[in-house]
Order: sequence, then structure tokens, then C-alpha cells
Amino acid sequence: MMDSLKKLATSVAKESRIILRDRQTMILFFVMPVLFVLILSLALRDAFGDRPGATFPMLVVDQDGGEVGKTVVSAFAANPHFRVERAGHPAPGQAALERAILDGRYRFVVIVPEGATEQAKRRVGEIAANVPPALLKDPSVQLRMLSDPTLRTDYRSMVSTALAVILHGEEMRLSGAQIEKNLRAMGYALELPTDLTRTRIFAEMRDEPLRSGRLNAIPSSVQQNAPAWTLLAMFFLTVPLSVSFIKEREQGSLSRLQTMSVPGWVVLGGKTTPYFVINQIQMVSILLVSVYVLPLLGGDRLDPGHAPLALALLGAAASLAAIGFGIAVAMYARTAEQAASFSSATVMIMAALGGILVPKAVMPPLMQQFATLSPLAWGLDGFLDVFVRGGGLMDVVPESLGLLAFSAACHTLAVLRYQNRL
Amino acid sequence: MNNTSCPVSGRFDPAAPPVIEAENLCKTFKGASRAALDSVTLKIPRGVIFGMLGPNGAGKTTLLSILCGLLKPSSGRVRVDGKDIVTQASSVKRLLGVVPQEPAIYPALTARENLEYFGRMQGITGEHLQVRVRECLRLGELKDVENQRVEHYSGGYKRRLNLVIGLIHEPQILILDEPTVAIDPHSRSFIHQRLRELHARGVSIVMSTHQMDEAEQLCHHIAIINQGKIVTQGSLDALLESQRSGSIQAQMEQPPPPSFQGVLQRIPGVLEAYLDGRCFLVTTDDPEQTAVAVLGAVKLTGIPLVSLKFGTASLEQVFLSLTEHPLEQ
Repeated sequence: MMDSLKKLATSVAKESRIILRDRQTMILFFVMPVLFVLILSLALRDAFGDRPGATFPMLVVDQDGGEVGKTVVSAFAANPHFRVERAGHPAPGQAALERAILDGRYRFVVIVPEGATEQAKRRVGEIAANVPPALLKDPSVQLRMLSDPTLRTDYRSMVSTALAVILHGEEMRLSGAQIEKNLRAMGYALELPTDLTRTRIFAEMRDEPLRSGRLNAIPSSVQQNAPAWTLLAMFFLTVPLSVSFIKEREQGSLSRLQTMSVPGWVVLGGKTTPYFVINQIQMVSILLVSVYVLPLLGGDRLDPGHAPLALALLGAAASLAAIGFGIAVAMYARTAEQAASFSSATVMIMAALGGILVPKAVMPPLMQQFATLSPLAWGLDGFLDVFVRGGGLMDVVPESLGLLAFSAACHTLAVLRYQNRL
Repeated sequence: MNNTSCPVSGRFDPAAPPVIEAENLCKTFKGASRAALDSVTLKIPRGVIFGMLGPNGAGKTTLLSILCGLLKPSSGRVRVDGKDIVTQASSVKRLLGVVPQEPAIYPALTARENLEYFGRMQGITGEHLQVRVRECLRLGELKDVENQRVEHYSGGYKRRLNLVIGLIHEPQILILDEPTVAIDPHSRSFIHQRLRELHARGVSIVMSTHQMDEAEQLCHHIAIINQGKIVTQGSLDALLESQRSGSIQAQMEQPPPPSFQGVLQRIPGVLEAYLDGRCFLVTTDDPEQTAVAVLGAVKLTGIPLVSLKFGTASLEQVFLSLTEHPLEQ
């Protein structure tokens, strides 16, 4: 046994030496995944979860200058997702406003027409005086909202709804004031509370995103990208691993080793152990960059959670799954070119399906079900258990077992193929 | 026409048990219409250079692969130095040094690193490993390039390294698959010389080859394999004697005139005569008597004779008569 372990160590050293002498592969292994995480975490920062900065710049053209305009501005300004600006005087024309949106300076422009407040008050007065609708002098006050056509329809709809709610509140406020005025005129002294929020019947709705459990919490950009690109980098190692295996087979050095008293597990272990170590270094370097470097560049800091053992288990299981896949590809592919193209294409499909390129949480339900077919999705779910849902070691056991089972299945297929060739 | 000396098997002991013995060896690959090896029974004597000849697809590489432990036989058994290659695989592998046809080396490593790696995989460590590495570098004349990556080597250097890696653990038996195919004459001669030296040290050598002259120059014992079956096997001398030929082959210093063919045909006892450049071939029922008359006819041309051979067949003739395939196919 000691003899075999020494041979394993020799094989690991030999393979490591070969890998270290291939600079291009080294870049592929380490630099590219880290760069991807940095670039994508920064670029997609606003496309995921909570955003620290405003996402929607809005211009309010307040031609009214009265209470309606002020209410609209203050309501949107209170929302951290909007950066509200008021248009100066004279108010820009329709063409200038359209240009401002098409140039990308604003996502929304809200136009409060001149005299809106007075018109609203007159209309409330008439309604309070029971003027029949057909005889009302003033029409409904028409505010306008221009929006960025590239913005998702659901976002535009939500902002439009928010504006309607604001105006409804203003309607209520004006109605209350009118009723109070009328009652006073009739000799009743009624004073409405000035702080309407305290007298609301329904309390204000609060979003309560879950931070634990197995629900689909939406990760932040870095919470999604760090584990996603770690997994993709790990699985992409199947390309050099399978190619290296096939080259060694073609060169005859694998056959030469078979003619020696070298156990098969030593040959296999010598070949794959350096790749396992590389996988672990990839994971640690991506996590370190996400925790310490990304914030320096203005990105979100990755909270690594409180379960290092869970991360270690996931990293080991994902690496073994990737290595198993690489060996199986090497056993079934006839040429290095075939192995490279098949493994890279398959990994990309597994990544697309598994929520690596597009988060699983934003997929439609049917696609989320398909996503469970991809081992990368299992790995990603495990990492999200730790990073997003605050999970621990036991929470990632199911995903890790899945990855280990995938690895075992791939190894079994490879061994069957190998024995079939003898 | 063969002016090379017959290889001398100085270490061959006819009384010694065979170093490799195959009995009724069969191998059929999945999906193949016929067996790659069909009841092959073979005895390779200890201390000889044993040549395995056969056309492409005859089963040479399959047989060598089974001897090396790379393939499992479908049936039959092989014993190497008395040990079964299936049940005592580990012990057998320690006895064998294998030199594949294509250089089985790591291009990204240097010659020294390759030797050290394969040496360690053969279980050699410490000072013994360093001694063996130095010896193999010397044998392969690779000292000057020992620290260069193999990917920068010429084809000949790669073949030398390929050869000496097979010797790193001082094997008793060396198995080579087409060791000199597609290499320059200098490297070929280098490898031949090393094989003779190894044989002189007592190493039993088994090699497959396409090259008839190589087999005649190097091998003491020959097996001819065709369509998965051993057609014949024995010592080179005995094989050539067994196919005793009634032909006389000669080579002259210059091409004789075309009329010389008619002169030869008119010699009493000559059945047929062929002229091809400086060489001619005469068939006869009585080579000894006819040879005297042929020598007389040559003398009359005034062109010196370079070589004359009669009485035995060439290996190629033996091969052709047994396989009906040209050797270099």
C-alpha cells in the first residue's frame, strides 16, 4: 500500500508539473473565472435582489407647482429605487422629454399639467356639491407618464400602478378637505387628522423576504455569480482533463503504465488529484475575491455565511462530479477534439439549464423543474442555501449527495467502458 | 544477395525452459467477424532475439499486447518465466520492459523527468533510481539533451528515449513493437546496436517487425503470424533451411548487358533466368552444379561479382511462400 501511495504522489507531482508548464491552461483555470465573477457581479449588480442605489431615474415635470406635483415628487423620492429630479423652468417640451428617455437619462417622465391642483379642487368641490356627472365643468385631471420602451413591461406596469395609488391618496386627501370645508360651512366643527397614516384602516404593506428555509429567495448579483462561476469553472475543467486523458492514451503513456505494476486507481488518482486541488483553489479564490476585492470595486460584498464545512463539502462534491464527468467523456470520446467539443457544449447546456447563466429563481416554473436535471443546479442550490438562506452543513447534504451520486455514476460508466476495451 | 552475417545467439541455451510460452491463445474483439488470434501456441526461447513477422492485421500487436498485459486473452494461457500472465500479472510485469511502437512519453517533461517518473512507477527510488537514470541516459546517448523538454526532440531522439524508458528497471525480457519503423537509418542502426548489447547482457528480446532485413540481421528465432495464426516458428537458420531453394541469386558490380540473360538461360540445368539491373536470379534443380557454370558465365562478362547466394531461401521468400503476402505491405 505504501508503495502504491508513493506512486500516487509521484503521479500527482508529474501531472502538476505538466499542468503548471501550460500557461494558457493556467489562465483558463484561474484568471478567467475570477474575472468573470468580478465583471458580471458588477455589471449585473442591479439585475438581482436588493439594490443599494436607485435603479429608476425619474423626471417630474411639475407644470402645476401645486400640491399634486409636490405629492408625486415626494412619494417617488421616498422610494429608494427611484432617483427623482424636477424639471426646471421653462418646462421642456414633448420632443426634449422623449429625447431624454431615449438617450437613457431617465426611465420615466411624469408630467403634472399646469393648474392640476386647482382643477382637482374645483372638481372635488363640484362632486361634493352633488353636481350630476354630466354637468361637471372640469374634466378629470390627466397626468401623463412617459416610460423607457426597453424597460420590462412588468416594471412599467408597477410604476404606473404606484402613480395611480399616489393620485388616489391625493384624491382622498382633497376629498377630505372638501368635506371638512363643507361641514364647516354648515356649522359643524370637524377636524380631520393631519397625519393620515396613523388613521389608516389597512396598515401599510411590508415585504417580508424569507432568509431561511428552502424557498426561492432571490440572490444578489454576487450571491448568484460567485457560486455560479465557481461551478462553471469547476465543470469546465472537464475539457482539459478529458483532453489530457485522451492525449495520454494516444501518446501511449497510459498503456505503458498499464504494462507496469501500477494499480489503476493510482493512475486515475494521479491524473485527477491535481484537478481536484485546482477546483478547490478556484473556489477559494473566487470566494476571496467576492468577499474582499469586489467591494473595493464598488460591488456588493459576498457574505460567506457561517458554514465553512458546508462550503467545503459542496466544493469537494462538485469537483468530484466534474472530474467524474471528465473521465467518462475521455473514456467514450475517440479523439481529443471530440472530447473538447462535447464536454464544453454539454457543460454550457448544463449551466444554462441549471441556473448558472440565468438564475433559476427568475425562470418560469416549468424551466425550474427542468433545472433540477442539471448537476450544476444542485451545486448552485447548495451554495445558495449557505449564502442566501443562511443554511448550514446539514442543509447542503442533499445537494452534495446528488453530486456525489452523479460522480459515482460517471465513474461507473467510465470503468465499464474501460473493461469493455480490454 | 544477402551479405550480412547471421546473428549469433550467444546466450541461447536450448535446454533452458522457454521464457515465454503461449498455449492455444485466442482473442476475439467485440463485433469482429474473425478472431484476432486463433489458437496461437508459441515458445520463445530464453536469451534470444525473437522476431514476430506478419502482414498488417495479422495479429502481431494483439499478441504483443496480451504478452504485455494490455489485453486479456479470450481463452488460452500465457506463461512468462513460468508465471501465468493473468493470475500472476504483477510478478510478470516486473520482468517485462515494454517499448511501444510510438514513443510513449510525456512531451512536456524532460528526458530525465520522464525516466525518473517511469522509474518510480516501476518501484525504483533513491540512489538506485539516479544510477538507473544516468545509465539509461548514457545508453540512449541523451546526456546532452536530458534537461530539454521532449516536445523539442527530433523523432530519432524520441525513439531512443522510448527505448531506454523500457529499460529503466533492468527487465529480463524486452518487448518491442516495430521499434524502427519510420526512422532515419542512423537512429535505426543505433537501436539495433543497443538491442545487440542488451542481448549480449542476457536480456531476452521479443520484437515485431515489418522489415525483413531487420529480422534477418537481428533475430535468432522467428515466428510468422498470419490471419491470427502462427504459420511457422523456429530458429532463423532452420527456417531458411526448411525452405531450401533451388535458386541462385547474385549481384554484380555493374549491370551486365541484356544479352547476359540469354547466356544464363542457355546454361545446362537452368530452368529460368531473370535479370534486374546489377542482380540476377537463376532457378535450377541442381544449384551446386549450375553455380559453377554461372560463375564461368559471369567471369566472361569481365564484370566483378559482388555476392552470390544459393542453397537457402531469403526470409522474404520464406515469408511469401507461407503467407502469400508481401512483407512490407
